Amino acid sequence: MTADAFATASGLVERTAAAFVSGVPDDPADDGFFGPGSVTWRLGRDLAGTVAGLRALLMQSLHPLAMAGVDEHSGWREDPVGRLAATGAYVTIVTYGERAAAERAAARVRRIHTHVRGTDPVTGQPYAADDPALLLWVHAALVDAGLATAELLGTPLSAADADRYVAEMVAAAVLVGIPEPMAPDSVAALDAYITSVRPVLQASPAARESMAYLLDPPGLDEDIAEIWQDIRDAAVLALPAWARELHGFADPPPITPERRTEIRQALGVLDAVQLGEPGVLEARQRITLRMRSAVRS
Amino acid sequence: MNSAAPRRRVRKAAAVITASLLAGTAAVTALRAVRRRPASLRLRRGLAAAGLAVRGGMRYAASAPKLFAAAGEARQELRHDLALQTAEDVTETLGEMKGVLMKLGQMASFIDDGLNPAVRKTLSRLQDSVPPMSPELAAGMITEELGRPPEQVFAQWDPEPIAAASIGQVHRAITRDGRAVAVKVQYPGIAETIAADLNNAALLRRMLRLVAPAQDVDALLDELRERVREELDYRREATSQQQIAAYYRGHPTIHVPDVIPELSTRRIVTSELAGGVRFAELATWPQEERDLAAETIYRFVFRSLYEVHAFNGDPHPGNYLFHPGGRVTFLDFGLVKHFTDDELWPLMQMARYLCVERDEEGFRRNLELAGFLTPGAPVSTEQVIERLAVFYATIRTPGRLTITEDYASSVVRQFFDVRSPLAPYMKVPRSYVILQRINLGLFAVLGQLHATADWRRIAEEIWPFVQAPPSTPMGEAETAWRASRPRPGRPGPAQPAAAGPSSSV
Repeated sequence: MTADAFATASGLVERTAAAFVSGVPDDPADDGFFGPGSVTWRLGRDLAGTVAGLRALLMQSLHPLAMAGVDEHSGWREDPVGRLAATGAYVTIVTYGERAAAERAAARVRRIHTHVRGTDPVTGQPYAADDPALLLWVHAALVDAGLATAELLGTPLSAADADRYVAEMVAAAVLVGIPEPMAPDSVAALDAYITSVRPVLQASPAARESMAYLLDPPGLDEDIAEIWQDIRDAAVLALPAWARELHGFADPPPITPERRTEIRQALGVLDAVQLGEPGVLEARQRITLRMRSAVRS
Repeated sequence: MNSAAPRRRVRKAAAVITASLLAGTAAVTALRAVRRRPASLRLRRGLAAAGLAVRGGMRYAASAPKLFAAAGEARQELRHDLALQTAEDVTETLGEMKGVLMKLGQMASFIDDGLNPAVRKTLSRLQDSVPPMSPELAAGMITEELGRPPEQVFAQWDPEPIAAASIGQVHRAITRDGRAVAVKVQYPGIAETIAADLNNAALLRRMLRLVAPAQDVDALLDELRERVREELDYRREATSQQQIAAYYRGHPTIHVPDVIPELSTRRIVTSELAGGVRFAELATWPQEERDLAAETIYRFVFRSLYEVHAFNGDPHPGNYLFHPGGRVTFLDFGLVKHFTDDELWPLMQMARYLCVERDEEGFRRNLELAGFLTPGAPVSTEQVIERLAVFYATIRTPGRLTITEDYASSVVRQFFDVRSPLAPYMKVPRSYVILQRINLGLFAVLGQLHATADWRRIAEEIWPFVQAPPSTPMGEAETAWRASRPRPGRPGPAQPAAAGPSSSV
């Protein structure tokens, strides 16, 4: 199958924005698993969030078994944007939603995962989406992406806050079905875990195919497509060198302050575009107000 | 009132116009010719009102506490709960292109066709997304700029802003010498952030293509950059406003608040607080009042252009305050373009040849002289006139005309339109891009007011090459004002307006 046959990525902004809006509660009964004082919420506001999401996917795809599960079961070819929006909605609900909403969303994902089983055509190994080892890779890649992109493009976290973030995110790991002791609770533990997984990582044909789609989504509005190039370059730039090598990406020149500014400007435009979608401004304002009252109290 | 019948007529006209958009003549059709109405009551009433305003003169200003209180009552609703508390908050909200896009949105909000509606919605949304500064942050700016906290600088200071400004906000205060003032305070750090974002021309071009696909992107980009850069330095605004206020001092219907220079800096501009009602309320006043307000705005724009050589390019209807009898207070001089004699001369000649001399070749020569048209372009003068006549539709012939919104928007579209067959030979020279805002500022507002007047005869009063006697009661009051005031500070264009056609080439 070639990229041409894939569903187009039009509607990417609209649908991811709608997913975000639906995940931010109006009048929540509780502060959810993180709360307005958390590092997780602070990082969630970072302009570099889109790059973090893309970098997470690039990392996640390198685990052949995780990739096989997505490739053979998620239906991403038919509706790639829907798949991305669903993931976005899940992350938003877990981050900002009430505990009950986050638990419901997680239960739904765990239920779906029980049906995702098969044999990876690349390694010949069986896989199961509820395998904590696979879930942990996906989790770790997400947490690592948040830290790496904030460092490169956003507002870098202090060492203590970075540790706090990794520890906060253990709650997200547990929700999706990872036993608590398995989830890294510090930057050092996260790094050690990622290093330990490296021997099994590779860019399988499915990984290459899906990532090629993501990096250059067909059917994106022309002007968004140009902005997307900056965001894509930024995600590749934010990868560790070994992950770029596995994907076969050329090593980009080191980022200059001017290039960083350009990328942030492109992100700002994308941010403005998202802000134009219904409900996004109000959802963000709800988050801001809650964070402010947390600071005051 | 009697507004129902004309409204229906306007709607019908609108249908005709939308059917024939972008045809040069469409806009002319959109100008509704009005049967000459007996001048009787309505003009007499106008005269009385204008006379009142003259007599009111300097006494017009209410006492400071009263103005201060009124400004508080008219306070704009702002999201104080979301107020920006630090310079970092400002950067997060307006940095990374968002402030620039917001300015672009302000520009775009006046171009109401050929625009991607989704983009326009996004840009206007962006404006909604900017909360005010917290009282502490605003006070910090005063301290930084004026050397002392606001409570010490002013006898009375309202820590809550009364209105949002595009890159700042307005506070009301009373000076130590007892004047009620509006203090515009810029957001901290915004100048640096926006200046950096304006440097990313490649990204801006992309945005402009997205916003206005049919327009001359480079001309728009130039205008956007210059406009925003100028707006960032409030000292420029203060100087322009002071110059224009001085020129109009004592004018029967035009009021420009005085600037208090010692309380103005690069990021603060303090000016006299003015009363009056907003544009939305004027729209509920009788048509006679709206026509008088429109006449004042019209006179202001062209007198400023021809006599002060200045044009206030900020067309926002929020920048006017209205008083009965046609008196208008003009606010916000953040974008004043000062024309040199060389820039103004061909413009004036163009109007003169087309509308007065009816010498179409003379018109074309001056069009070429100004750089609008490539000299020797293989297009007939007839085609040129057909394409450009729309800009002169209100003044080519005498007679009362109603300016409609359709006319206003067709003028705007044509200015930057690149689809015309003449497009390869026409361009808007950089120094005239701002004139787009005559169309935006003047005709958009007059169109919204459905203003009726004999614009041609008013223009004849103002044109230095005609200097006709007053054609309206307001014109009479203005003539009296002109006779009573000292010689204007600025001379007219250096070249004599009465020079023959041969001397202009």
